[in-house]
Amino acid sequence: MNSRTASRLWVMVLLLILPAVGAVAQIPLMDYEQALYSIPVSNPDYILSTIEMGLAQDDFPAEPLLRLIDRLATHPAPAFEKEAILIVLAHAMEDGLPIEGLINRASEGLARNVPLGQIEQGLTQRVLVLRETRDLLYAKGIFSAPAGAPQTMANAIPMPRFNQLLIHISGTISEFLEGGGSPFEGHVMYQEIYNRLTLLQGVTLLAEDVELILDRIEASDLTQVALATVS
Amino acid sequence: MKPDALELLLQDTLKAEVATSAERLIDLEERVMMELGERRPRLRWSQWLGQLLAPSRSTRLGQLVFVGATAAIFLFVGLTLSDHILPGGDSPKLSLQPIHAADGTQEVLFVLPAMDAENVAVVGNFNAWEGTDLSDPDGDGIWTASVPLSPGRYEYAFIIDGRWWGQDPLADEYIQSFGEYSSVRYIGRGGDGA
Repeated sequence: MNSRTASRLWVMVLLLILPAVGAVAQIPLMDYEQALYSIPVSNPDYILSTIEMGLAQDDFPAEPLLRLIDRLATHPAPAFEKEAILIVLAHAMEDGLPIEGLINRASEGLARNVPLGQIEQGLTQRVLVLRETRDLLYAKGIFSAPAGAPQTMANAIPMPRFNQLLIHISGTISEFLEGGGSPFEGHVMYQEIYNRLTLLQGVTLLAEDVELILDRIEASDLTQVALATVS
Repeated sequence: MKPDALELLLQDTLKAEVATSAERLIDLEERVMMELGERRPRLRWSQWLGQLLAPSRSTRLGQLVFVGATAAIFLFVGLTLSDHILPGGDSPKLSLQPIHAADGTQEVLFVLPAMDAENVAVVGNFNAWEGTDLSDPDGDGIWTASVPLSPGRYEYAFIIDGRWWGQDPLADEYIQSFGEYSSVRYIGRGGDGA
């Protein structure tokens, strides 16, 4: 065997091994299943199916979600209260919404010893804001493109980037409303979104994405989103 | 006795008295000062301070010495602390500026003064709100923890002996959720890493 053949063989071996390593690094669905059974939940199949959908996405927060389910499993509250939180997350996943911010909020609530019912209400409200914000972006001609899909529209942003924008815009609106802000103060919400996006511009957000958002969205749009979620 | 004779007698008597008293006046100032020096009481600190601030020529020198010594002490303490706190100091553990790693991760310092605390931890979205302990090895009430963070936006709060403390003076902004405050820091913005 000459050196050229040997090097080809090495490349083939690496090509076979690397996907296997990647598969090992990803959290298997079985781990979620076991965690759900330890709660236990009454409808694990529905939750698992949405998790399976999420795991197919690049930016899915697999490890934080598993950690949240494990924490819920050890929580002394009744199982139905824990399941209610997971159902809210499952609905969001089913709707294609990013759940990173929702997991963060639920974990924060657990750390603060907030009653699970109150956490569920907070998450439900946040899902509403996420959905309304996504609809606003769509209405403004800003879309998300699945990874690898041909970019057929001028303002189709790859999904991980679109989701990051969605998380920060809807998160700012949610925090503003939870802090006692009025839905009619669209200009204040706009200023807070402007501040957050510009601080993250070039850090975790692309400058062109930030410019697109700030160019298309107006204060009155944010009032509409806020009103739709509180009514 | 005639009036003229009486006047002369008075004048002679006065001259004699003055001559006698003049001898007593010799070295009077030195003797008085010596006696005062022997009788001088020990000053209490408040009297000493009052004397120090008195606007006399001799005490002005004391004032200058006092001010100079105070300035020297402050300069020494300032320079010593600057080694620990300001950027470029030799002690990276207490530096408020994050230390950049090759992969973009930065060592971010969390600092909280909590004089009588027994346990202080920081919880946030960088540790799934599960707590990283702060330490106070020298017992001065200043608790610190260094956490490696990649650039981004981080929400966090301190837990002091089980109590939630969401308003870190070093935070970039504050948010409210579940009726309480949390702090927010932006890491890596504009290259300053704060």
